[in-house]
Amino acid sequence: MAEHPALSLRGLVKRFDTKVAVAGVDLDVPTGSFYGLLGPNGAGKTTTLSMAVGLLRPDAGQARVLGYDVWADPVRAKGLLGVMPDGVRLFDRLSGAELLAYHGLLRGMDPAVVDQRAAELLDVLALGDAGRTLVVDYSAGMKKKIGLACALLHGPRLLVLDEPFEAVDPVSAALIRDILHRYVLGGGTVIFSSHVMEVVERLCSHVAILAQGRICRVGTLDEVRAGRPLEEAFVAAVGGRTATGEELSWLSR
Amino acid sequence: MAVPVSAPDAPARPVSARHFVRLKLRVMGNNFRGQGWRIALFVVGVFFGLWFAVGGFFALAAPGLAGEPRYALLVAAFGGSLLVLGWLLLPLVFFGVDETLDPARFALLPLPRRTLVTGLFAAALVSVPVAATLLAVCGLVVTAGALGGWLAALVAVLGAAGGLLLCVAVARAVTSAFATMLRSRRVRDLAAVLLAVLAALLGPVQIFVAAAVQRADWDRLTGVARVLAWTPFGAPWTAGIDVAEGRGGAAGLKLVITGLTVGALLLWWSRTLESAMVGASSAGPARQRRGRIGGAVAELFPRAVSWARRDRFGALVARECRYWWRDARRRANLITVAVVGVFVPVMVNLGGPRLIEDGGQAFGQATADASPVLVSLSMLFVGVLASVTLANQFGFDGSAYAANVVAGVPGRVELRARMTAFSLYVVPILIAVAIVLAAALGRPGWLGVMAGALFAAYGCGLAVNSFVAVLGGYALPETTNPFAMNSGAGMAKSLLSLLSMVSSTVLGVPLVVAAALLGDVWLWLALPVGVAYGLGAALLGAYLAGDALDRRQPELLAAVTPKR
Repeated sequence: MAEHPALSLRGLVKRFDTKVAVAGVDLDVPTGSFYGLLGPNGAGKTTTLSMAVGLLRPDAGQARVLGYDVWADPVRAKGLLGVMPDGVRLFDRLSGAELLAYHGLLRGMDPAVVDQRAAELLDVLALGDAGRTLVVDYSAGMKKKIGLACALLHGPRLLVLDEPFEAVDPVSAALIRDILHRYVLGGGTVIFSSHVMEVVERLCSHVAILAQGRICRVGTLDEVRAGRPLEEAFVAAVGGRTATGEELSWLSR
Repeated sequence: MAVPVSAPDAPARPVSARHFVRLKLRVMGNNFRGQGWRIALFVVGVFFGLWFAVGGFFALAAPGLAGEPRYALLVAAFGGSLLVLGWLLLPLVFFGVDETLDPARFALLPLPRRTLVTGLFAAALVSVPVAATLLAVCGLVVTAGALGGWLAALVAVLGAAGGLLLCVAVARAVTSAFATMLRSRRVRDLAAVLLAVLAALLGPVQIFVAAAVQRADWDRLTGVARVLAWTPFGAPWTAGIDVAEGRGGAAGLKLVITGLTVGALLLWWSRTLESAMVGASSAGPARQRRGRIGGAVAELFPRAVSWARRDRFGALVARECRYWWRDARRRANLITVAVVGVFVPVMVNLGGPRLIEDGGQAFGQATADASPVLVSLSMLFVGVLASVTLANQFGFDGSAYAANVVAGVPGRVELRARMTAFSLYVVPILIAVAIVLAAALGRPGWLGVMAGALFAAYGCGLAVNSFVAVLGGYALPETTNPFAMNSGAGMAKSLLSLLSMVSSTVLGVPLVVAAALLGDVWLWLALPVGVAYGLGAALLGAYLAGDALDRRQPELLAAVTPKR
């Protein structure tokens, strides 16, 4: 199995009505890599990742997790996957512990193992103090952390995270970073989407930049950066503009 | 010079109700864009509305067209009261209110409350049911005009318009108040009682109707109508008749009553609206929950589910169980099932003519009119009504359903678990319904027939609604109002519910036929046969619909995810 990439996307296409959200994405995420998926808002990051994990049916193309086709052999593929979607609710009328137990049992895990791992995760992520507070009453950062815990609980081989650092305070972000780093060191693979260049630059071994539904830069971090700061490379790849100072003059008193 | 950042002076163009109406029309129009089935649903809705409107129009215009002034007051008072009652109860029990313009969306805009309320109210007037009601009450104008000339017609127009405003205001105010009540957990039991009282209001109306059919005692009914005509229920509709009969002063007073009622309702609505707007942005203080300290798994499983194995099925059942109680929207549905399930059969079976004649003495005396067939039919209704709650069971979850998709839960397990969890709440209710009805009728021997029909209908309903939920799931708006509906979804919901209720009823009819044909043997056979029938139907439904669910999990997820 070693020759299969952790995640392999081939020609993924998705149209919504007439708008093409993803226009043929090919991507190989090598096993053991820490992969950052960058792109401006509306570039198709969430759509791509949703299709990769089986949440959204692609109009064309294939997604394979460690060689198993997500759409043809979903049971195998989904068993290897841990997913934290963005903009998707959790079953948030459960407490943190209840939610973890639910996810664990749903994955067919042994109850004793679920208990032990849930306690450990709640402790490490500093969610133990929340007690039986319902997840709906958690703060945004706590919701991200419990979402990550749910994705990690069953010990997946590949972790797919959509915007794991959005709305997270620096303390929690550092914690999440450490956990992900250890996970990769332990042989896992992570792909996550983000806007935060600094985090991507610090963590990732590989980067892909997505713009208007297509991959426009891909490779190891150093290849994509090519000697510049990542932010410059990103803006250049996406083709942004900078304010000249002439417009919006009414903003200044 | 640059313009200051904040402009303290009044806005250049004040916001008026017109903007809200146009916004609503625009939102409705955009919802139709490229969605053929939505347009089709809307057309069907318009058709139903038209059907109702024409029927109502001729019913209300009949006294005028036939030149029968004797019945004019009667028809106006009872017909109009029924309309108000319908607007009061139907949104609570069945349909929900159209929240195309969710009040919470306006929370951040600098709008005076007065503008907001009048605007939302005006927008609420733009809907198919309002148009249908408007057309129907034109019948009153025809009656008043035919009997009393143009002046009476003019007053009738004023009255009908006021009455229409009253209908919409009452629907808005009551659902909004209920939503607020159900949100705060302390008073949710009070809300249940209130709903029960509202449902109990069905009783007197039904008795009057029964009396009208049975005895045609017009004098007594006219007396009731006179009283009714002075309440807000009948006042707006009878003003025109009063002018026609030469009581101009009474007509004026009734218009005043109507106006005051509408004003009071709007005031009430604006109060609850405020809390709804605030509640949407912060759902109140976080609750620290206490409970036994144990493993996460032990925490997930409520005591009622402690029998379940600690596996996928058990986890699904436990989570659903918790959700039926913790989610305000689901809880509202459960309470409705409990209340309507108890009251409607009691009314149907006891509200017979004998009851009127005896002035409602002893319940036992009414049994002469009840029969196993009628009882089975009403039980069929309760069972179907209970199961139709599941018609959009995935919509309750919304995007959270993604967790199950990612975990790859097999459709059959999913559906069986959902049925089981819901049944943990509903089966005790159904048993209670059967016992209460048997006691009320004084026929403990019929308990088997009742329970048999109930469970058969409930099981068939579970099966049918599994299909409806998998194939026709739709997104519910992410508000805290358990009665809120998306635009267009209101119609979709009514139609899907109707479809599922009709199919479930058809599937349950064999039990009624058996009750009619088999006689006394059925008293013994009904329970085992009914339970087996229902269970078999439910399992078969889960088996077949589970297959469909496996094939369209992502599509279902997309369908129940609210658009933002």
